[in-house]
Amino acid sequence: MIAVESLVKKYGSFTAVEDVSLSVAPGEIHGFLGPNGAGKTTTIRMIAGLLKPTSGRVTINGHDLAREPEAAKASLGFIPDRPFIYEKLTGREFLRFHGGLYGMEAAEIEERAREVLELFELTRWQGELVESFSHGMKQRLVMCAAFLHRPRAVLVDEPMVGLDPRGARLIKDIFRLMSERGVAVLMSTHTLEVAQEMCDRISIILRGQIIARGTVDELRALAGGEDEHLTPVFLKLTGGSGLQEIEEVL
Amino acid sequence: MSAPAATPAFPYLLLPTLWAMRNRARRRERGDTARVALFGGIGLLVGAAIFGVVFWLTWQLLDYAELGDYLIRLGFSWLFLTFLSFLAFSGIVTALSTFFLSEDLRLLLAAPVSRESLFYSRFVKTVGQAGWMVVTFLVPVLLAVGLARCAGPGYYLTACLTLVPFVIVPVAVGSVVTLVLVNVFPARRARDILTLMGLLFAMAIVMMLRFLRPERLLSVESLPDIAGFFSTLQSPVTPLLPSFWAGETLFAALQGGADWLHAGALWTTALAFLVLARAAFSRWYFTGWSKAQEARKARFTRLGFLDSFARLLPGGRPRQHLFVKDLKVFLRDTTQWSQLLLLVALMLVYLYNFRVLDLDRIPYMSGVVKNAYAFVNLAMAAFVLSAVAVRFVFPSVSAEGPAFWIVRTSPVPMRAFLWSKFWTGLVPVLVVAEALTITSNHFLGAAPFLRVLGAVAIFFMTFALVGLATGMGAIYPRFNAENLTQVAGSYGGIGYMVLAVLFILVEVALLAWPSSIYFWHQYREIRIPPAQIAVMAASLAAAAAVAMATFWTSMQRGIRALEAMGA
Repeated sequence: MIAVESLVKKYGSFTAVEDVSLSVAPGEIHGFLGPNGAGKTTTIRMIAGLLKPTSGRVTINGHDLAREPEAAKASLGFIPDRPFIYEKLTGREFLRFHGGLYGMEAAEIEERAREVLELFELTRWQGELVESFSHGMKQRLVMCAAFLHRPRAVLVDEPMVGLDPRGARLIKDIFRLMSERGVAVLMSTHTLEVAQEMCDRISIILRGQIIARGTVDELRALAGGEDEHLTPVFLKLTGGSGLQEIEEVL
Repeated sequence: MSAPAATPAFPYLLLPTLWAMRNRARRRERGDTARVALFGGIGLLVGAAIFGVVFWLTWQLLDYAELGDYLIRLGFSWLFLTFLSFLAFSGIVTALSTFFLSEDLRLLLAAPVSRESLFYSRFVKTVGQAGWMVVTFLVPVLLAVGLARCAGPGYYLTACLTLVPFVIVPVAVGSVVTLVLVNVFPARRARDILTLMGLLFAMAIVMMLRFLRPERLLSVESLPDIAGFFSTLQSPVTPLLPSFWAGETLFAALQGGADWLHAGALWTTALAFLVLARAAFSRWYFTGWSKAQEARKARFTRLGFLDSFARLLPGGRPRQHLFVKDLKVFLRDTTQWSQLLLLVALMLVYLYNFRVLDLDRIPYMSGVVKNAYAFVNLAMAAFVLSAVAVRFVFPSVSAEGPAFWIVRTSPVPMRAFLWSKFWTGLVPVLVVAEALTITSNHFLGAAPFLRVLGAVAIFFMTFALVGLATGMGAIYPRFNAENLTQVAGSYGGIGYMVLAVLFILVEVALLAWPSSIYFWHQYREIRIPPAQIAVMAASLAAAAAVAMATFWTSMQRGIRALEAMGA
């Protein structure tokens, strides 16, 4: 599971994340929504161990990230929004290296790499340099790497960016299957249809603070509307549609 | 709950670098072979030259018995002292990149990699990147000294064992300084500060070395002063520095002995600094890394006068905006304009060379030599220009990077875009070229005819060289390059340098031939026959025509290449 307690991140006098707490239980898919610049990526980067929180605590599968960083990270699969991949390595080599980072044995890496490459339809391209991959292919390769070591918790920042409908469908199926097998998934996304379709619970962050949390129905009730779709609910909670301003500008 | 995985040892983290090198060697890109041959050839030539000079000097010093030994000992100390300071600065700048700015850190920090593994892998990278140039330079020097002195295998073994701690000490100090700096300033701002400091340092070194006038050492009458010259480079603190220990250790090995005291001091200091750097890493790294993720504020934000200035320039509104954008981007990128400082230093040294050139020592020849030198000067100035153009003008189209779609989808014709790049590059380069040629010919005391010819010729040559750079930069763009230095070293950049050298040689030949006829007649005080004048004029006109053709053809081909992009 992923547990975040009173997380704060300050950049000088600017507070990017303020007292954020959330918990993702095993088997739960938790959506993390918010407008641009609300603090989603900063929070995700702190949970991934890429940023040092000003205060607060992050626990991954029982391991405190500050005190046992290696154990915590070993059980987490992280899919960043702008992934780095060594451009001069082949897809297969990248997975081999990544598996080694997570302490996997060579034979196990080869076996798992074959499986995930097949799953993400990259087997044909495994011997090609990453620099020749399209954006969507790179995104799928990063997912291969994230799932290679069978993590018990998965942290995803914008999973659908650059994926074609087939790839997006595949990701949704994979997350659903992982959730059924007890993996905790925390997913930041701007695609509200995806959040509505997949997430058991959703947290909405605005100006660094969690302003709403619950199931889609609970959020709908909180927004006080009867809308079927999540988009109007999200807009009501985060500051209106701005339609009047749009009309004025146009 | 899964058990914590064993974290990989630090050599494992270096694997991607090795694999990438292997893959790059296996899958060569267009121009790779030419690049390797060119740079490898230049490297080997420089190495051979260094070896030859040092071997000759050491061989000559054999005749001076104890004085020779003394000078070698001082030479070692001086050599290592110079490299020590170079390595310290190089270590700071490199550590900033390897520890804080490398893209792969986002991958490694999210993985269960221990702090220890991360530190040692990054440190090895820093040592390699900061030290390879020094080691490459030291190898022919130390080899030449050893061979000239017929040193035994112990000397070569000692050289290897000395170089390792000698590089580790300053790089470890540099890494600690970087860790502290990044915790004080955000890393991206710290990089600007360090880049600037490093360049000022390089500038100072270049100028200091030149102003010491090392050519005095080659004159026989100043031989007794050599010891004094080297001694001025010594100070009471040098025995406390690793450079002194390295020099002493090597000198003892050269004599067939062993200096355990200084070797021990070198190794224990290296290990102590390594431990210190490791402790500093544990203490400050993650906080510094987090600070490094902060966005930096734009500098040179008050550049409104540029817009007012641009409005005065000829050309349409888009060209004015392109000019302002290019200038702002240039000024806000420290790595760009700070290299100009180094260029200024090199140009000052270039002019200083002419200032101290002592041609009057050969009185009967000085007039001829001065005028011949004026052509060498013209060629040299043009080479300097082509080097400036390949670094600053050739990458101007590639500098648009992934943002080039903005220009391509805008209603700005490619013709207007490329001409804007040309004029933005031409004006500063032309000012530099004219200043360099006129001043150096003045210092040289060249004949008035040559001064005028030089000034006019460099005007045409600048048009050609900047046009060639702009055009070829458009024909061979590298929009995905990590930095603009990489663009200059690309296939197109090398092609440009080859064509620029050919162009300069043709121009100098076309200009030198009529000039030599003019001076031949002037020396004998006879009139030049009219037919000869016509041929001379034709040769000068051909030089102008070649320059204009090079300029115009390159620009037109560049425009066509941009217009054909995506076709």
